[in-house]
Amino acid sequence: MTVVYRVGMPLLTAGCLAMLALILADNGWLSALASLDPATVQSFKLLLLGIILETFPFILLGVFVSALLQVFVSDATIARLTPKHPVAGVLFGSLLGLLFPLCECGMIPVVRRLIRKGMPPYIGMVFIFAGPIVNPVVFTSTYTAFRGQPGMAYARLGLALAICVVLGLLLSRFLKRNPLKRDAYELAAANNGATSIYEHDHSQGAKGFWGRMAATLAHASDELFDIGKYVILGAFLTAVVQTSVDREVLAGIGGGTWSGSAFMMGLAFLLSLCSTSDAFVAASFNGIFAPSALLAFLVFGPMVDLKSVLMLLGTFRTKIVAAIVLLLFALVLGGSLLTAQLWL
Amino acid sequence: MAGSDRRRMVHYLIRAVLLGGFALFIVQLARGDGLSLYIAPRMEPFVKLSALALYASAIYQVYAAFRASKGQQAADCGCDHEPPVSIPKNVIVYGMFVLPLALGFLLPEATLGSSLAAKKGMTFAGAETLANARSGERAAPSLPASGNGGGDANASASEAMFPSDEYTASYAVYGKQLYAQPAIAVPDQWFIETLTTLDLYRKNFIGKQVELSGFVYRDEAMGADQFAVSRFAMNCCSADSLPYGLVATFDNAAALRKDSWVKVSGTLEEGQYDGGTILQLLVTHIESIRTPDSPYVYPDYNFDKQFE
Repeated sequence: MTVVYRVGMPLLTAGCLAMLALILADNGWLSALASLDPATVQSFKLLLLGIILETFPFILLGVFVSALLQVFVSDATIARLTPKHPVAGVLFGSLLGLLFPLCECGMIPVVRRLIRKGMPPYIGMVFIFAGPIVNPVVFTSTYTAFRGQPGMAYARLGLALAICVVLGLLLSRFLKRNPLKRDAYELAAANNGATSIYEHDHSQGAKGFWGRMAATLAHASDELFDIGKYVILGAFLTAVVQTSVDREVLAGIGGGTWSGSAFMMGLAFLLSLCSTSDAFVAASFNGIFAPSALLAFLVFGPMVDLKSVLMLLGTFRTKIVAAIVLLLFALVLGGSLLTAQLWL
Repeated sequence: MAGSDRRRMVHYLIRAVLLGGFALFIVQLARGDGLSLYIAPRMEPFVKLSALALYASAIYQVYAAFRASKGQQAADCGCDHEPPVSIPKNVIVYGMFVLPLALGFLLPEATLGSSLAAKKGMTFAGAETLANARSGERAAPSLPASGNGGGDANASASEAMFPSDEYTASYAVYGKQLYAQPAIAVPDQWFIETLTTLDLYRKNFIGKQVELSGFVYRDEAMGADQFAVSRFAMNCCSADSLPYGLVATFDNAAALRKDSWVKVSGTLEEGQYDGGTILQLLVTHIESIRTPDSPYVYPDYNFDKQFE
């Protein structure tokens, strides 16, 4: 996994940079490339920038809302509000995203803090998986992307909620040990002294209203870069696939119901898109893949993808992460086919 | 200035330039009407707003750089956004932001054309687009249940000509309106809807006069005298656009340059394409036009409501 990440990401970006060098240098290479097929280069540019421009409003909205909450609402308040009964707790965790429309990238550090502050781990973990989907920003962007099929936005929300409730109930029953990596804190202290991630409380970090507003802007513009690189990478891969692979080839994979869903889930895992913007990418595969496959993409991606697994492994014990990922894969695969059968 | 402060300052300045670059790109597109090449009109206000937010972030980064140059921490959210130290890693990350900007600013503006249409797969005058939109449901209109004897002879005759089910009711009504016109001009705002209606009730429209405009598309499955008058239909952005077209026959078709824009008129007939029978236009008049300001067409989600 880590190998894929370590090798894949630099390779892809090396490709980006190589192209960039070609464009900037313009020493005959560019004209050679252009003479090959300028139309393809143009299509690539139109698709790449189309996706990026389309996602900007949603990323910015998510980043700013998340930053505002991060700075203005203390974790202790949330920990205090958390119910004690498992079923109520699981529902609370699944629906917390309605109040905290965080992206999955902003989710894990927050949950880690919440668990340290006394939130039951199973609730925190359900929040990690439900939050990126069951929230108003993501619903709006999905609804916008699938204007022709409003059922998709509802199906995405409903299926994610159902799966997270199942996951939460299982965790509340079987998760006895603390799922956090025991030495994460000490490790961080030994490595770079950045323990502030674990103990920093935003409500006290910044002073006064303007101090907090500045902190919000700081958080938002930094997070924009953290998330932006994944969005651009995702847009890049999507544009490459769409300009170079024939529709028939994709349709061949997407033809089978099981293989189509599994393929789109794999794609969602690799692309690691932000949940606020992945609906636009999914919509671009509309008509090539069955609705069940698109639904699987939309539900699995925000829960489990390359970057979130890496973040999870850094925070939680490996066994727990592996068990949850396998469980989620099975639930999303089955659930998307069933939901599409009944609803879409 | 300490080394780490200098490093932070450089990072903040790079980020300011990149964020400002994207904001500028959006503004430049919006001023030159280029935004419509990338995204659908209903999304444009939001993208323009995001340019403002990008500006605000860029200005904040300049402020943070200024603070760093003075050796002060900028307002800290404590979330460990400290930029990575390794230089190759930084080059890669920032390079990813530079690439789309460079493509956007340096390549000339163009519209989507035949090359992408071939990859995405052309949909020809397409009752099957209905099936797509209804996620796989068969869109062939079922005949109305017989035996409800009411109504005058005229009405029931047109009912028989334009049978419909719950999904095609609005197409049937629109079809009757089109049928009443002596010559049908395919409008941009209902490009797909009109082609779908013509194809859905194909038999009724054979011999009808039709006029439409689009770019020239050709593929291997077409005969020497065939081409397609095509448009890209966009939902939200260029990445989700799909090509639609009507096949046309014209003796001099081979002389038409692909991707050039034409306005054609002619009569509808049935023709052969890729081993199947399709609706096609026998061209009687063709003229070359310049690329329209709005090269794409957009599906009308309120089409059904127009006929309730």
